[in-house]
Amino acid sequence: MELTSYTTKPQNLDAIFAALADPTRRSILSRLAAGEASVNEIAAPFGISQPAVSKHLKVLERAGLIERDIDKQRRPARLKAEPMAAAVSWLEEFKKFWSSSFDQLDGLLDVLKKRGAKGAGNE
Amino acid sequence: MSDLPTYVLERVFDAPRELVWKTWTDPKLLPRWYGPNVKTIVHRLELKPGGLWLVEMQWGGKSNYQRVEYTEVTPPERLIWLHSSSDADWNVIPSPMMADWPRLLLTTVTFKEDGGRTKLRLTWVPHEASAAEIACFSAAIDGMGKGWGAGMDLLAKLLAELQA
Repeated sequence: MELTSYTTKPQNLDAIFAALADPTRRSILSRLAAGEASVNEIAAPFGISQPAVSKHLKVLERAGLIERDIDKQRRPARLKAEPMAAAVSWLEEFKKFWSSSFDQLDGLLDVLKKRGAKGAGNE
Repeated sequence: MSDLPTYVLERVFDAPRELVWKTWTDPKLLPRWYGPNVKTIVHRLELKPGGLWLVEMQWGGKSNYQRVEYTEVTPPERLIWLHSSSDADWNVIPSPMMADWPRLLLTTVTFKEDGGRTKLRLTWVPHEASAAEIACFSAAIDGMGKGWGAGMDLLAKLLAELQA
């Protein structure tokens, strides 16, 4: 297990997790996973105001999860996958720790059960 | 119990409850499953309220230390402890991986007998946590599958593509 693999920029991970804590922001990220979009395009399906969307985009931008074009009029937002990959892989490692440990426990219980049955047979 | 975010992990083991309990509480058996592909060393295990379970995990020439303080020991039904990362002297420290990860996680493990098998339920709740710790933990739980739905699948697919 490469526990060391997710030690890259831990302070940034905190910003990422804070940004991901909000369901609307996660939905926005899902929308952007399908392709870049302007504030208008993002706001439409959510039924929230453009300023509200802009606020969410700012949080996501600070966390480094998205980037926005400065020059263009419509300033489309785009998903930046790298920091997201760091966050997701951290969670994956965490999950893996327990599920792999439980797999090992499964194996150990098998061994112990067999040993127990053998012991009982000898008595 | 509270509004605090709770992480729940459940698993059924094909073994009687007493045996499963033993694997969680016997210092000789614990290192044989706790920590995947690492060398697990149990430095201390005092199975009583206020007792400590001090564990070191080694991999790739590095050590990671965990400090567990039991708050309830009810064989063979329930174990409750405070889980934390620690330094080599067993002082509680923030997670080396993430600064805002809760320093103390109240961990409850329940063992339920079910026709010769054992239903195990593990829950984690931040203990005496700051707002930042709670937010971090809550986001982590979301990331573990709740609330992501199709969006998470999409992202996972995208990430797989980008990492390929």
